Amino acid sequence: MLVFAVLATVMLVGALGVVLIPNPVHAALSLVGTLLTLAIAYVVLNAPFLAAIQVIVYAGAIMVLFLFVIMLLNLGDENPAPTQPWIRPAAWITGGLVIAGVATALVTNPGPALDPTAIAAVFQGSGVEQVADQLFGPFLLSFHLVGVLLLTGIVAAVGLVQQRATETDKARAAAGQAGHMPPEVPPMPSVVEDAS
Amino acid sequence: MTGPVPTEAWVILSAALFAIGGIGVLTRRSAILVFLSVELMLNAANLALVAYAKQWATAGVSVAMSGQTVVFVVLAIAAAEVAVGLGILVAIFRDRLSTDVDVLSEVRL
Repeated sequence: MLVFAVLATVMLVGALGVVLIPNPVHAALSLVGTLLTLAIAYVVLNAPFLAAIQVIVYAGAIMVLFLFVIMLLNLGDENPAPTQPWIRPAAWITGGLVIAGVATALVTNPGPALDPTAIAAVFQGSGVEQVADQLFGPFLLSFHLVGVLLLTGIVAAVGLVQQRATETDKARAAAGQAGHMPPEVPPMPSVVEDAS
Repeated sequence: MTGPVPTEAWVILSAALFAIGGIGVLTRRSAILVFLSVELMLNAANLALVAYAKQWATAGVSVAMSGQTVVFVVLAIAAAEVAVGLGILVAIFRDRLSTDVDVLSEVRL
């Protein structure tokens, strides 16, 4: 219970940081903190394989890509003024209602207590074998679809960035100052490969 | 209170993370920070899936492990989504020199 309290506190503070910190780099680092705490939570919840994947893919590859783009675009602090004055209180009230609703529903209708013997029988080792059995069994179609999705993602990311680069080159050549564009966002395809 | 943490506690924590992510999507003005909040919501859903995978251990290995397998699939989809989304963001930034979502409101009614 103490572990849960510490994890929940760090997670919620990190999540609030994502929503409240004006500097994008600090907000992204705050999310990295939440993601690493989630990895610890996965270990507590008998999913050590997912904890490792969470650290490598999410906290590692995906968040590095986020930080890379934030720094590449050189984003400053966010404009603090909301477009509509009512949107902030409305969002916080709706969010609070969601939390209160889920909490009320779960506290008034608790599920059966956890069964330690069944948990010990099911979750053995790192969980890689059991996840693989599912992934290449009942989830085979999802596995293939994710493969197609990742390929589409690679092609789309390269296409998006490359097309713009050539247009800029043409514009510069037309303006008489032909120079080569620096390569744009090279780590994008590599991150997709990491996850596959 | 002793003994294992009940699944409900994890799911309430997951709902809180999801709601905070949703608040971020609604209140943030920079598109990249909206995107960060979406990542937070994806992770909140993952936490609930892993917590329920432990709860359903009584139903056998295949049912319990499907929860963790879905989390694995969500991670792969998130990676693809981030690659494409950030590519679009970089393209928009080159065009408009801004990632403020209010600048990108031509398609709204």
